[in-house]
This record gives sequence, C-alpha cells and structure tokens, in this order.
Amino acid sequence: MPKNFIDLEELLERTENDRELMRDLLTIFKEEFPQRHQALGEAVASLNATSVVLEAHTLKGMLSNLAAVEAATAVAELERLGRKNETSRFLESFSRFEVIAKELSRQVEAFMAEVSG
Amino acid sequence: MRILIADDELMSRRLLEKTMQRAGYDVTAVANGQLAAAELCKPEGPRLALLDWIMPELDGPGVCREVRKRKDQSYVYMILLTSKEKKEDVVAGLESGADDYLTKPFDPEELKARLRTGKRILDLEDRLIEAREEMRFQATHDALTSLWNRGVIMDLLGRELTRARRENKCTAILLGDLDHFKNINDTYGHLAGDEVLKETARRLVSSVRSYDFVGRFGGEEFLVTLNNCDPAFGLARAEKIRKTIAESPVETSAGPVPISMSFGLLLSQEWGYMSVVELLHEVDTALYGAKAAGRNCVKLAAPKAQSDGAREFAPEPAWRRQ
Repeated sequence: MPKNFIDLEELLERTENDRELMRDLLTIFKEEFPQRHQALGEAVASLNATSVVLEAHTLKGMLSNLAAVEAATAVAELERLGRKNETSRFLESFSRFEVIAKELSRQVEAFMAEVSG
Repeated sequence: MRILIADDELMSRRLLEKTMQRAGYDVTAVANGQLAAAELCKPEGPRLALLDWIMPELDGPGVCREVRKRKDQSYVYMILLTSKEKKEDVVAGLESGADDYLTKPFDPEELKARLRTGKRILDLEDRLIEAREEMRFQATHDALTSLWNRGVIMDLLGRELTRARRENKCTAILLGDLDHFKNINDTYGHLAGDEVLKETARRLVSSVRSYDFVGRFGGEEFLVTLNNCDPAFGLARAEKIRKTIAESPVETSAGPVPISMSFGLLLSQEWGYMSVVELLHEVDTALYGAKAAGRNCVKLAAPKAQSDGAREFAPEPAWRRQ
C-alpha cells in the first residue's frame, strides 16, 4: 500500500474540519500545482538559482498548507540548494521531489473524490 | 473587526480568509504588498493585518515600513507570516515595524490567539485616544455649558480677526450678559441658575451659523463671534439672538424662569487695527450701555475720536474684573 502523502489529520485540524474549505484547497492545488511544478522544472533545467528559490518557496507554501509534509520537505531542500547556489545538485533533488509529486497528485485526485462525495 | 490578508499564494490566502471569516473578522484579501500598503494606509483602512513575508511588488517587511511611516492615523497591528525561522530573519521582520510573526503553516488556534492579543492592544489605543479627547474637550470647553471656554474663545476671536483683516472682511463681536442673573440665583436657587446658563448656551448656539463661535466668557457673560459677515447682517443677527434668548422662559427644576440678555456689539471693520483686548474693552463698554439703557437690548460700539473722553470714563470691564 502506497504511503499517504497528505496528513489528513493535520489538514482537518488546519481547516477546522471544514470540508468545503478542504475541497476549495484541493481544487486550487489541482489547478495551480501543474504550472508551478513545470515552472520549477524549467528553473532547475536552466540552473537558474534565483528562479529555483522563488518557485520552490511558492510550492513549499502550497504543500505545507495541504499538510503534504514530505513533498514540502523535498521542495524546501531545492529552495535551500538554490539559496546556496548549489546548482549541481538541482537535478538530483528535483528528481526526488518529482517521485513524491507524482504520487501526491494521484492521492489528491482520490481524496478530492472522497471529499466531494 | 476588519482584517487585511496579504499573500500572493492563492491557497494560503483562501485558508487565511476562511479561518478569519469563521472567527468573525471582516476580511479584505490582496495578492501583493503594494495593494496591502495602499489598503492599510487608507484613513479608514483595516487596523489588523496578516502579511506574508515574501510577496511580489513589496514584501511583508516593506509593507510594515510603509505603514509605520504614517504618524497621524490609528495604529495598525501587523503580523508577519513566514517560513523563515532564523533569529536574524525574525529580528529583521520585527525591526521593520511588525508587531508579531507566525511561522507557516500556521495553526488556526494560535493565529486567532495572537490576533486577540493585537485586538487588545488596539482596544487599549482606542481607550487612550478616548481619554485624550475627553481631556482635550475638558481643557477647551466650559464644564457647565459645553461652550468654548474663555481662553479658547479669545484665541478663536484673535484668529478670526486676523483672518478678517487679511481678507478685508468684517467680524461681528457680540458680548452678552444675562439680565438680573443674581436675582435668578437668589430667587430660584443656584441649580436653577445653572439650568438657565445651560439653556442660554443652547439658545445662543442654535441661533448662530455653524462657522460662528460661541463661548462662555465668565459667570453669566457669553461671547459670540459672527465670522465673515457684513455689518447689516451682524446687526440683524444680534437682534435676532437677543429675541431668541428672551423668547420664552427657561423651564427649570424650580419652575419657569423668564430671562433676557443685554448685548454689546462691535463690527471689526469699523475699528481698524486694534488688539483683541482693546476691542473687547470697547464691546464691554457697549454692553454697559445696553444695561444702562434698560437691559434686553443691543448697543453697537461706535468708534470715537481719541479726544472723546468716553473711553476713559468707561467702567472697568467685566472681563477685567474677574
């Protein structure tokens, strides 16, 4: 059974058990995440440390709000590398994040169906 | 209470917005620092703010600095939201003028508790302002009638005369004294006397324009300035005020008390460059004339040649006797 990338208990607490708000957050995430993910990928590919920091920071905020702790930690690592201008480690770190992001996106879809249902 | 939320990240903004609405706040949400600063710097803008640290246009500390530049408006309590946890970051945030900071992702209960702290501080500021305004009122107004007190009405008269001279306009100075006020006190008691003074003040205020000044000059004496009026208007208005005062008895706790007032009137344009003290002396002399003429009338102070002895033989004015 795949690991749960959203801490549901934490998310419920953060939204004060408001299912409508949770649905809103998931919808925003679903709409915004692919663009942000892509923007981060482009920044990583171009080894642009400033863009990596900005994009990683934004993604970190989104993921933290969703109680996606592991994904937030992975992207925070990219932000840290960007700040230190360690461009040679961008790709390796981004790959780790991508694995988590892929599974997270799938879980968000499933969770959305559950919350909406 | 209104609160401003500034966060460029849509999910954070939505989460904060909903959490605050649920807590009873009236929320204004914006997506960048410039908009936040503009909103907070409005005269009636929100007094509580949650500001994301990193934002486009202007960051959270930048918003704090902009807001703190204003000196003449109510205090705004600002909390920075940040994922920065390093001591130097926190210090920099607080140095920019933020009151508090909260690490993201925030806990709703902690956020609400911190905002309650902010609200307590704003409430305290409101109470201090209220007390200051109360003290200011007490320092400038007569306690019984709530009219301008002697010091302020003289100051206002001085300013008005300066303005009138500069603009070549006329100011009418009206000094009124309640007739037989001592008898009122002796016959009806001091409480009724106070009620008469309060009602006299009310009648005076109700019979002048919003930009005229009315003050209690002393005991039963009142000073009225009719600002920016032509002489004919000044004369007519003085007579109208006299009639308004005497129109009906004052209903007091000791029964109805008939009242009347004698007035000295001076039209500043006719007197050239004279000091406030000199003009008050002249209008007081005219008031004395009204008393001597049988009371309940208006006497106009007429400029006389210096050789005329009238000014020398004028009685000691009441405002000097006090």
